[in-house]
Amino acid sequence: MYDVWKNALAEIEQQVSAANFSTWFQNTSLLSAEDGNIKIGVKNSFYVKQLRARYLEIIISALKNNNINVVNVEFEVSSSPKTKIKSREITKNQTSFKDRVKTLHLESKKNQLEYQNGLNDKYTLDNFVVGSNNDLAVSAAKSIIDAPGTRYNPFFLYGGPGLGKTHLVQAIGNELLKRNPNLKILYTPTSHFYSDFIEAIQNGKGKEFNRKFQKLDCLIIDDFQFIVNKEKSQEEFFNIFNDLYQLNKQIIVTSDRLPSQIKTVDERLASRLTWAGAFDLQLPKFEDKCAILRAKADLMGAEIEPEAIEYIAENVNTNIRDLEGEFSTILLMSEVRGLTPLELINNGSVSVNKISKIRPVSPKQIIEKVAKYFNLSVKEMCGKSRVSNIKNARQVAMFLLSKELSLSTNKIASEVGVKDHTTVMHGIKKIEKDLKLDFALRDQIEAIKEKIYG
Amino acid sequence: MKIKVTQEKLSKALNNISRIAIGKVTLPILNNVLIRVNKKKVSLITTNLDMAMIDFLPVSNSEEGVVTVPAKLLAEFISNLPKGEIVEISSSDTKVTISSGKYSSIINGALADDFPELPEINEKQAVTFKLSVEEFKNSLSQVIIASSNDLTRPALTGVYFNTYNHVLAIAATDGYRLAEKKLISKVESEVNAIIPSSSLQEVLRSVSDDVEEIEISFNDDLVRFRLGEIEIISKLIDASFPDYQRLIPKDCNITTVLNREELIRVTKLAALFARSVGGSIICETKKPDTFSVKSIANEFGENDSKIETTVDQTGKVNLNSRFLLDALNALEEPEISFSFSDRIAPILLKNKKDQKYTHIIMPLNS
Repeated sequence: MYDVWKNALAEIEQQVSAANFSTWFQNTSLLSAEDGNIKIGVKNSFYVKQLRARYLEIIISALKNNNINVVNVEFEVSSSPKTKIKSREITKNQTSFKDRVKTLHLESKKNQLEYQNGLNDKYTLDNFVVGSNNDLAVSAAKSIIDAPGTRYNPFFLYGGPGLGKTHLVQAIGNELLKRNPNLKILYTPTSHFYSDFIEAIQNGKGKEFNRKFQKLDCLIIDDFQFIVNKEKSQEEFFNIFNDLYQLNKQIIVTSDRLPSQIKTVDERLASRLTWAGAFDLQLPKFEDKCAILRAKADLMGAEIEPEAIEYIAENVNTNIRDLEGEFSTILLMSEVRGLTPLELINNGSVSVNKISKIRPVSPKQIIEKVAKYFNLSVKEMCGKSRVSNIKNARQVAMFLLSKELSLSTNKIASEVGVKDHTTVMHGIKKIEKDLKLDFALRDQIEAIKEKIYG
Repeated sequence: MKIKVTQEKLSKALNNISRIAIGKVTLPILNNVLIRVNKKKVSLITTNLDMAMIDFLPVSNSEEGVVTVPAKLLAEFISNLPKGEIVEISSSDTKVTISSGKYSSIINGALADDFPELPEINEKQAVTFKLSVEEFKNSLSQVIIASSNDLTRPALTGVYFNTYNHVLAIAATDGYRLAEKKLISKVESEVNAIIPSSSLQEVLRSVSDDVEEIEISFNDDLVRFRLGEIEIISKLIDASFPDYQRLIPKDCNITTVLNREELIRVTKLAALFARSVGGSIICETKKPDTFSVKSIANEFGENDSKIETTVDQTGKVNLNSRFLLDALNALEEPEISFSFSDRIAPILLKNKKDQKYTHIIMPLNS
């Protein structure tokens, strides 16, 4: 019955403005529909009046279109069943947090054994926390679920590691399957794709491999950037892509960067992948991070103070995976030590932001490597020249000194030979800003890091 | 649409009702005030979907029509116009022209189509009470202080209007203290409704000197207040209020009568030393004639004040000084009764003569 109402809502959504829909129809529910007596639960009497006065016709026609017999529609004030805080029952075999984690692990293992379409049903849209960092991608995902293979085809999703790419595309797959269990969906990481492909070629079954994909209604390829240097696989993928696209089948691809920035990806393929636009997942903002942690806490049934959540959100700035990792660690610790998370934080037992990577590198080494990478001498780079490539190298050096060794800006200034710390601060900020957009720079810095530690 | 009205009247009405027109991001039209002229009757309406405020503005001259205008902007514009002038508001489509003497401006309004329809009280089923504004305002202020703003317990975020033994009473609690006031002693109809404190705050703010009577009408899920030309409609909280009568102690072992002003003074003194211990103070009765209030702050020192009274029995209780002060300020008579049993049962505060108001506070663990 719930699903019927969801379908009706989806239809209503297309007939009223977004603002009106989210105000009046969110948090409504279908309470009963016996013998055509429809009862709809709403937030308060203001909603009753408005829905009856303005939207009754739309509601009735939407219900009728979903094959519901409508004789009479009534509205009833009911505090929304969804948002109500559920009281938690602790069963015997789930008494402690450790056990809960264990069962979660077991469950996920079981799922992994069972899957054939590559989908893991723990990824759903319901447990995907929507924020300003990902709302565009999520709304596109929702429209794919409503109408696969139409508007956002192919759906190209990109973003840094641990920001929820896999979660979102798996959720699309799961949701599609829920709506229509007969759909043929395949989720495959790129690495599986090419290893399967190689195996198929070796066994002389290349054609079958291709045919397997052509039968699909929806293909989800994860971590497409690993296709680098796999030219044959790429060609095969290109063929599959074209076949599926011709048949209006939904194709979903994720990657950590835009296709044009993946080395050795054919231009024809790159442009095809972003035909329907590319959606990015960004780092969550502070509020989004809090929301994510809160959702996670609810999911685990764990209790954690708002202050503790804020502390973690403020101090983990890398990605959502790290965020959840820190969160789990703190919860586990609180379970073991018998203190609440906030007490742990206050007495200094956990310090999220002090996970500095202590590696045996000296500032001098970093400066040398950077200079070498940019084909400059150390003297040149640490001089006063304002030629742009030299200046840029210098800023990269400052950035790495700050990030890798956590040196103070004053110290960096003296290492790199610039006048004062404000110059350093400016340099670091500039690189940080550029990193967000400039994938070439990201690669450069990764390469330098490899040189430093490698 | 066209209305002509004095600046004072319009400004007062707009300032009052524009308070709740704080936009929901999802529905920007809620930032607006709806101005409607229908059969010579002018109404200004705002709503935040939890409540609505309507002002039936008496005007000298009007033409029919309806339009919505950003409420805050209009309120501020009107309140900055010179006093005593006549203001004329007219609209064509969504352009709203406001002119007054030398001043005139055009505000971009919005069509009224998107403005929500307001629920109405079903007069036939309604249970209606009339009260003097003065009494209602005082009583509500005495009770509302005890309501909670913890949204996870919705029932406690409002004031409970209920009837028992033909008495209409209002009550509020946040789980640590409870206040009850009996409003009308002989009523026939029954009511059980929790009105959100936020709506009641708006009712209190809308009270003006020239209105003497307030009319309150209840439906199953709606309440309406009528205050002269102002009407306030609010949702009710859909939850059940705790059976609070059971919480009020029936008889207490220890009862003392104290001078209210004196107790306020010594509580304030004690509170100064109680800051580091969460405001915890110790009240103690000592034979034959001492009521003492003590607080200890390890780093600052300690405080011990005494009030003379008659004491039959000795006892001791720890209280939150802020809660005690709130209660004492809500009580009215110069002499009050302070009753308690032991260190865990709630304490009971009442005026010495008038028994309509009851305030109880849970003691702190010592």
